[in-house]
Amino acid sequence: MVSLTIDGNAVSVPKGTMILEAARQLEIQIPTLCWLQKISPTGACRICAVEIEGIDRTMTACNTPVKAGIVVTTQSEKLTRIRKQIMELILINHPLDCPVCDAGGECELQNTCYDLGVNRQEFEAEDVNPGVIDHWPLIQQVPSRCVMCEKCVKVCHEVVGANSLFVNDKGDKAFIDKNLESCEFCGNCVAVCPTGTMISKPFKFKARPWALRKVPSVCTYCPSQCQIDINVQGNEVFRITSDDAGTTNNGNLCIGGFFGYGYINSSKRLTSPLRDGKAVSWDSALETVTSTIERIRQESGADALAGLASPRLTNEENYLFQKLFRAAIGTNNIDSEARFGALRALSALDKGLGLRGASNLISAIGDVDTVLVFGADPTAEAPAVDWQIQRAVRNKDGKLIVANMRRIKLTQFANSQLSYKPGSEIALADGLGRLLVNRGLIDEDYLTRTVANLGELKDQLAAVDLEQVVVTTGLSLTELEAAADLLGKADNVAIVFGADITKSSLGTARSAAIANLAILSGALRGQGGLYPLDEKGNIQGLLDMGVCPEKLPGFQNYAEHKAKFAKAWNCQLPSGGKDAEGILQDIETGEIRFLYLAATNPQSFPNSGRWMKALQKLEMLVVQDILPTEVTRLANIVLPGVSFAEKSGSVTSLDQRVRSLEQAIRPVGDSREDWDIFAELYGRLSKTPLTFSRSSILTELSSLTSLYGDVCFTGSDRHRPCLKQPYRPVDKNLHFQLISVNEEAEGLQLLSGKSSSHFGTTSTWASGPLEVEAEGLIQISAEDAQAAGIKDGDQLKLTSTTGSTTGKVLISGTLPQGLLFAPYNFTELGIQQLIPDGDNRTTVQLAKV
Amino acid sequence: MTQVTFSSWGRQVIDNRQGGDAEVDVAKKKLPISFDGEKNIAAFMGWDGLILHDPQVDVVAMAAEYAKRVQEDFCCAKCSPGKKGTRVMQDTLARIIDGHGEEKDLATLENIAELMQNCKCTLCMTSAVPVVDTIQNFREDYLAYIRGERKPKGNVEYKVKLTAPCQDKCPAHIDIPAYIEAIKDRHYDESLAIIRESMPLPAVCGRVCPHPCETACRRANVDDSVNIMVLKRTASEYERQHNLQPPMLPKEKKNKKIAIVGAGPAGLAAAYYLALEGYSCTIYEALPEGFGGGMIAVGIPAYRMPRHILQRDIDIISAMGVEIIYDTRIGTDISLVELKQRFDAVLLAPGAHRSKPMGVEGEDEGYDGFLAGGIDFLREAYMGKPTGMGKKVCVVGGGNTAIDCVRVALREGAEDSILLYRRTRKEMPADVWEVDGADDEGVQFEFLVLPKKIVVDENRQVTGVECVRMELGEPDDSGRRRPSPVAGSEFIVECDTLIPAIGQDPDLSFITEDTGIEITRWNTVVTKFVPLKSAAGRDLNDDMGNPLSRILLTDMDGVFASGDAEIGPLTVVACVGNAHRAAKVIQRYLEEGQAYLTDDDFHEDILSHLGVYDKHEEVPWLDAVARFNQHEIHGKERASAGNYEEVELGFSDSEAVQEAERCLRCYRVSMIAV
Repeated sequence: MVSLTIDGNAVSVPKGTMILEAARQLEIQIPTLCWLQKISPTGACRICAVEIEGIDRTMTACNTPVKAGIVVTTQSEKLTRIRKQIMELILINHPLDCPVCDAGGECELQNTCYDLGVNRQEFEAEDVNPGVIDHWPLIQQVPSRCVMCEKCVKVCHEVVGANSLFVNDKGDKAFIDKNLESCEFCGNCVAVCPTGTMISKPFKFKARPWALRKVPSVCTYCPSQCQIDINVQGNEVFRITSDDAGTTNNGNLCIGGFFGYGYINSSKRLTSPLRDGKAVSWDSALETVTSTIERIRQESGADALAGLASPRLTNEENYLFQKLFRAAIGTNNIDSEARFGALRALSALDKGLGLRGASNLISAIGDVDTVLVFGADPTAEAPAVDWQIQRAVRNKDGKLIVANMRRIKLTQFANSQLSYKPGSEIALADGLGRLLVNRGLIDEDYLTRTVANLGELKDQLAAVDLEQVVVTTGLSLTELEAAADLLGKADNVAIVFGADITKSSLGTARSAAIANLAILSGALRGQGGLYPLDEKGNIQGLLDMGVCPEKLPGFQNYAEHKAKFAKAWNCQLPSGGKDAEGILQDIETGEIRFLYLAATNPQSFPNSGRWMKALQKLEMLVVQDILPTEVTRLANIVLPGVSFAEKSGSVTSLDQRVRSLEQAIRPVGDSREDWDIFAELYGRLSKTPLTFSRSSILTELSSLTSLYGDVCFTGSDRHRPCLKQPYRPVDKNLHFQLISVNEEAEGLQLLSGKSSSHFGTTSTWASGPLEVEAEGLIQISAEDAQAAGIKDGDQLKLTSTTGSTTGKVLISGTLPQGLLFAPYNFTELGIQQLIPDGDNRTTVQLAKV
Repeated sequence: MTQVTFSSWGRQVIDNRQGGDAEVDVAKKKLPISFDGEKNIAAFMGWDGLILHDPQVDVVAMAAEYAKRVQEDFCCAKCSPGKKGTRVMQDTLARIIDGHGEEKDLATLENIAELMQNCKCTLCMTSAVPVVDTIQNFREDYLAYIRGERKPKGNVEYKVKLTAPCQDKCPAHIDIPAYIEAIKDRHYDESLAIIRESMPLPAVCGRVCPHPCETACRRANVDDSVNIMVLKRTASEYERQHNLQPPMLPKEKKNKKIAIVGAGPAGLAAAYYLALEGYSCTIYEALPEGFGGGMIAVGIPAYRMPRHILQRDIDIISAMGVEIIYDTRIGTDISLVELKQRFDAVLLAPGAHRSKPMGVEGEDEGYDGFLAGGIDFLREAYMGKPTGMGKKVCVVGGGNTAIDCVRVALREGAEDSILLYRRTRKEMPADVWEVDGADDEGVQFEFLVLPKKIVVDENRQVTGVECVRMELGEPDDSGRRRPSPVAGSEFIVECDTLIPAIGQDPDLSFITEDTGIEITRWNTVVTKFVPLKSAAGRDLNDDMGNPLSRILLTDMDGVFASGDAEIGPLTVVACVGNAHRAAKVIQRYLEEGQAYLTDDDFHEDILSHLGVYDKHEEVPWLDAVARFNQHEIHGKERASAGNYEEVELGFSDSEAVQEAERCLRCYRVSMIAV
């Protein structure tokens, strides 16, 4: 600790503390303009100047570390004069358009001037400010309002890692400029701008900040679940903001969180129930649903009915959905899109490690020594994970290994980029495991203590043929060794894996291979962690609630524990049950006649063409959704649900935090909260109208599962997100899984995955993300493009065994020869038609159109 | 016009405007009379005041121009007083010059100057110094403008240059404050790009540079210099450790070809800059492939400069299209004249690889155990050849090569490694950290001894060296105390190997008489220069005694010289700086048919002779963070037989950022009116 004196008060602070923070401990407020806690101090504005005894100049408190024994003065006539005059300098040629400036009312420059009593202007100079920059998508830059605090530049560089903004030009003409290619349009520059320099175009001139009501909620676009404020006026969402203080995301948002809200108040929203495309009353629509259910159940039994739920729904809604189907409808034919990804990771991690989600908090990633990102693009799949990786590897000297078929944004920060051949994930994981052993980088004591089948582990690793690994993965032994060293020499390791692994046909085996690597590298101990990513907002809540035939809420085996639930629910529970693939087959054979799609769109499922064809065979298709799609068009009954902004409930993040959604606006039109729809159907079908409330559902959950333990549901208090039971592996309880499957990819491969600007298909209804990425492009390497004689922008026809589509081409340096990539988010491109059942990659033929 | 009319340089006002002939030391000794051998320096304006030679110079107009250039060309805009203050300064002065000024503007300028004391760095802050000097000492001239009695005369030529004490002191003139600032901001790639503008061997100079820059670091006036060298290593290591592709893109290929003799630091640096400009460069290297790098390779052992990292810097240059032909010695395999015929220009950069004789009795006898020289020993060890070394090794000398020899001897398996030096540790020309490194590894030192005679046995095998004790007398020209023998103090140091390492010379035997190229008595190549004289009548020379502003063209048309063979044996960084200039001159020669220096070259030379660093300057700053030194492997094991693992380990990124934060960014602007 270092002791010093500030304004006559003694204070002791840790070494390296800045004078500004030391003063704040004494509740001495030194004015600042460019200081921002989450970035390194800049020292640009100079108004935090203080005097230090014996130093013949002022020092800036924000970036001067303390020294033992110094005597600091923060208030004096001299300092007041300096601060006021510096503010006067800053205000030279600052436009007087505060009344129409977007920052009016929440402008730090206004506030600081007011606080310092800056009420005149002694200086003048020619106005050499460059003109407004209006050609960037989504963000406008007004240089004349800029105070050059560089907060935007630093957030962009240090926190987001986009490194898109920079100071251009010299002297008073200098302004903040942008490399558009690297911009992620996350809006964090707008959020941190103390003035109206960085402006959100969608928000500009729409509302005055003081007229907006801020409703604390959670962004459900991805499982990071950033804590946000929905800014509302009337029944409209005007913008999304997030506070730095007290949020798990530190005020940071991504394009989805910041600019992706446009679909909520879209004029295309479904606002009334539809029967065969025509508006009907709720009563009539629900009556049709219930009577059809009852009729089919009578004719063909309950197993002729099925439903798919969604990670877009809350925990409570998913709970009610499974209860509705199991208890009131009487079938266990329920599933969700988790079948095509998240459930595979879950089953592998549960089997090997007893782990049902991420093993640690997202924030823990920021403190580890080595991060391995395997088959994931965190920037697209869970941006908050990206920000933590930035913290680990860019601010805290951590090392980064990126194992990915493609180059991703994180590649530029990687100490090792393992660009493995499609399909060689298991070989790569095994090879790394073998090298950890070979190079003496495993902790034998730890493994002996924790692993149940150490013998099998050793045998399996001994059987790994490194020469074969080199051939299979296409990586050199040197590259593999370097990566193994980075992994093995670290005390704390985080392993992040995602869609490339879990959504592939061998997703379970590949996840198991990564679980094995997590055991070997020690990612499950200390401050490390294992993080399966799935891009969908409440995927963890969906899994927790047991919306699949094999599990009940709380991951309880259906067959084993159904009696307990039957008792609690006071009903008989069906046996059997079909998963998504079984449901699809049974629809095709006519065995399933009724399907209920709750907030889910099969157009984004693999082999979507087969799904769309099957939907047409149904006797009754009920679609509960918020926007019109090809699927709602096929539906017999459409039930308009609501967006996250219109509902309350809880959601669970990928790192097991349970958070509350707060209803910010009323459901638009005649739409109803999704849980309300399920509850009413439940009441109608069971003839015992039950009154559901959030608390009653949660009480029921607590009594039937051990998911939450002593979880505290704090209602609207967003500052205390609740944690589920933390993961603590028991001794001798880690199982090294034996994997024998493998795949060899042949021919030109098409990988489908998530766009970095879009989230599911929902954001394709939001003008913000659309302004950045208006359509799905087929990305191809320069080599393959040349071989096929195609240029950027050409139309390309892709054909696989399951279907074909045509789309515009983007030649991209991120892809190796032999691999194409296309985002699945755009139903117009319809890339999922080409992807075989349960997979994310296929062999394709391409032809220039 | 050697008389100074006015000077406020060094915060001391000398005013001869009303007569008088008070002298200004700096003006008399440090500045040349002419800027470029032709145009006289009329006035010099900079961070420390104004020196006015020619009373006709309009100092108000000069101050206005100075303020304009600071604001428009150099101000980084990253702090409010600097960005806005210099703008107010520029506009206020411009208004005065335009005849729209008011007397109160002068007070505003002084107010702004005071406010700029709060700037983030010294660029804008020091730019106010000469402006205020002119207001305070040339007030009547300002008032004449304000009253509308004066109009600017125009046609004054100003030469402006941005510099910094460290950048000026660096022989390669790397923009050190900029690359440190980039590290501070965690822009390692940008930092490296800045370094490469003046230093194409960043991994090398991040490790083995004697870093003269650090002797001119203003942070030392607060506590201790910034660790400039290791920050350079950080920037280069970031690229390597992240497998990033170097971003340099050579310009479109030109149809002129250049031959370069020697793949050492000078040859490689010249090739780098010429290749960037689109020229075809072919380097001829006498040593075989795998041993490129000249003295960096065979003169600097791998524990200081790991081979694979040096090779990466060389490979990067090759990847830019430079062809290196190994195993080819000019003069033996191809004659210089023939080379000149085959290429449009030739650069001689053969280095200095020939050991100097020691002058000890028996050295020409060819005794077993008496090795040819330190540099030969290092080369053979480096190349894995037999060195002829025994178990008990004596090395004679006090420079870096001698230290490298004793340390390599340990790694080559010597049981005893002894350094014999005729003065004391304090006078050793070797870098202090190198001597400490040798100490750490168990090298034995014998100071104040002079070898006189080699002692051999009947088989002509060295068994020892007879030495005489020395004592230090009065300082000599180099400022070091001159050693003299103590009569009757002869004694024998037992050893089986004796290595003289007292210096090396260029081997210029390949420069045949028919080339007409003159060679100095120190065995360096004579190159053309622009003579610059001080007011005191002395020729301005560099630290090595060479003329200050050399064009680097030899007596043979189209043949240039650079590196140790031109400067005299010096440092990697000096060779790089010298070669960078050679590359620029060669380009001018090839494009315009004339080899010449530009204003910027002259300005650079003038500043380096003047010195931008003032070790007596009071620098007010809180010394809260001490200099951080890089991690290092310690103990004798690091020098065990065969262990050439790197000894110094650099910084982690966050340590580098912390050290970079210590930089005071001492930019300053120099303006010369001619």
